[in-house]
Amino acid sequence: MSSFALERDLATQGRVITALAKRALRVQLRRAQFLLPSFLLPLLLLAVVASGTSAAQQLPGFPNTGSYVGFVVSGTIMQGTLLAGLMAGIAIAGDIEGGFFDRLLSAPIHRVSIVLGRVLGTALIGMVQAILFVSVALLMGADFKGGVIGVVLTVLLAALSASAAAGLGATIALRTGSLSLMQNLFPFVFVLLFTAPAFFPRALLNPVLETISVVNPLSYVVEGMRAALFDSAALGSVWGGFAAGIGSVVFTCALAVWAMRSRLRS
Amino acid sequence: MISNQDSAASADATIIVEGLERVYSSGLRAVDGVDLAVAAGEIYGFLGPNGAGKSTTVRILTTLLRPTGGHASVAGFDVVKQASQVRRSIGVALQEAALDPLMTGRELLELQGALHGLRRAESKLRADELLERVDLVAAADRLLNTYSGGMRRRLDLAMALVHRPMVLFLDEPTTGLDPVSRSSLWTELRKLNDEGTTIFLTTQYLEEAEQLADRVGIIDHGKIVAEGTPQELGRLVGEPGLYVKLIEQSESGRARDLLAVHGAVSDREAGGLTIRTSLGARAIAPIVRTLDEAQIEVDAVEVEEPTLDDVFIAVTGHRADEDVTEDAS
Repeated sequence: MSSFALERDLATQGRVITALAKRALRVQLRRAQFLLPSFLLPLLLLAVVASGTSAAQQLPGFPNTGSYVGFVVSGTIMQGTLLAGLMAGIAIAGDIEGGFFDRLLSAPIHRVSIVLGRVLGTALIGMVQAILFVSVALLMGADFKGGVIGVVLTVLLAALSASAAAGLGATIALRTGSLSLMQNLFPFVFVLLFTAPAFFPRALLNPVLETISVVNPLSYVVEGMRAALFDSAALGSVWGGFAAGIGSVVFTCALAVWAMRSRLRS
Repeated sequence: MISNQDSAASADATIIVEGLERVYSSGLRAVDGVDLAVAAGEIYGFLGPNGAGKSTTVRILTTLLRPTGGHASVAGFDVVKQASQVRRSIGVALQEAALDPLMTGRELLELQGALHGLRRAESKLRADELLERVDLVAAADRLLNTYSGGMRRRLDLAMALVHRPMVLFLDEPTTGLDPVSRSSLWTELRKLNDEGTTIFLTTQYLEEAEQLADRVGIIDHGKIVAEGTPQELGRLVGEPGLYVKLIEQSESGRARDLLAVHGAVSDREAGGLTIRTSLGARAIAPIVRTLDEAQIEVDAVEVEEPTLDDVFIAVTGHRADEDVTEDAS
């Protein structure tokens, strides 16, 4: 392929990915059954956790972050982005069952663009979630020493977390094509969440969860958000968060592309 | 059966299918050695009951499914080796208008434009043109979940036309539509065909195939069992019939004996008779004269051309609206 043809192809696929991302975003924001888990449920949990378990910050080993809500908001963002990823999987399974997916497959576009369009749309939702949840936390009394830069880094980490979750959701949807199975995966989001230091520091997790948290890439992303928001290396590593986030996105998107190829071969 | 070998060899065919097979992992042979050729500018009706292999064939021709045997090309491109070029050349409207209910008609058309490589401004312009063409301007900015079945089908057709395809594949485009919506869609398809678009249409409706198709292929259990123009297929049933209705029902026995010289006579309900004759409509005058000379009064005489329904029963042994036992489509 000549460099001109390659450039033209990339521009076309860029437009395709943008159009599919816009569709993902638009439909997700129009459907209450998608909005409630991705936005309302994390906020409810934030309110419950912040008021019901705030005494946890008195425990020895709990880092000083001012308010407990400031500490747990990273966990809330993580929860929201994981649920957005699950919703992305549900949307893909819905497209497969409803026949819309065939419309995408019958268009002259790269199969990877179909996955990337959905992932990009979910990343944008993750960014909106992060801005909303951080704003709510500020209203609830949180004080983020990291300032605007810390929030911007957190929003970017949320985008990575949502993208990785969307890649995983897409993989399962493409492998199974089953809407009902996707809907039943809801509890697994909480397994992923509680095996990462979403609501408590790693040192206060029980030994089994603490061991699992070491291999759970979400641990590094959530700690990275916390480190960015509080501008504190003691809470985690921002760059470690980005490394884990980018690695997870690449891995889950590769899995989704593989699942797509397997689906088309069958 | 009318042979399709001549047409299959046609050099200017837009769709060429040779020995096409699709066997599923369950062992089900959904498509079993299909050969067909569709010329440029033709409307080809692919007729068969549910599960006969129609949709599987369309899915292969539209690159959504790989064949397990044989070859197929569309617009000069191999459906397996040159799938991307095939997708650029075709428009597809699959069964049950798969449209996102939470998008508007305009949004869907613009998305389809982007999927086919149109720039944003081009997509918007094309969406406006197509909304007008399918008479959906007033509903363009409403969510799809407020559209009727007929409106969804029209939008589905418009989406298939966004990139001005050479070949249009329509899988049961009017299933579930009321007669008015069906007729409006047929008018639009004829118009498209007049503009030069080749149309490959699957249907369970014999009337649809008769109304629209230049040629019809009948598929049953994954094999083409007959192919030709509706008129050619009609001849498979045998000689056309003339229906004669008598005023006096009691005269039917005498009339049957007298008319035997014109062809094979069979009884119909309420004193009617059917005479099968190769002369068709030209036999009307001698038949009426024979009955008049015998002073038997005739109420009506009608020519009965064989329908595709008759053809279907003749070549498959069952009706087109009966499902095949194993659903292959």
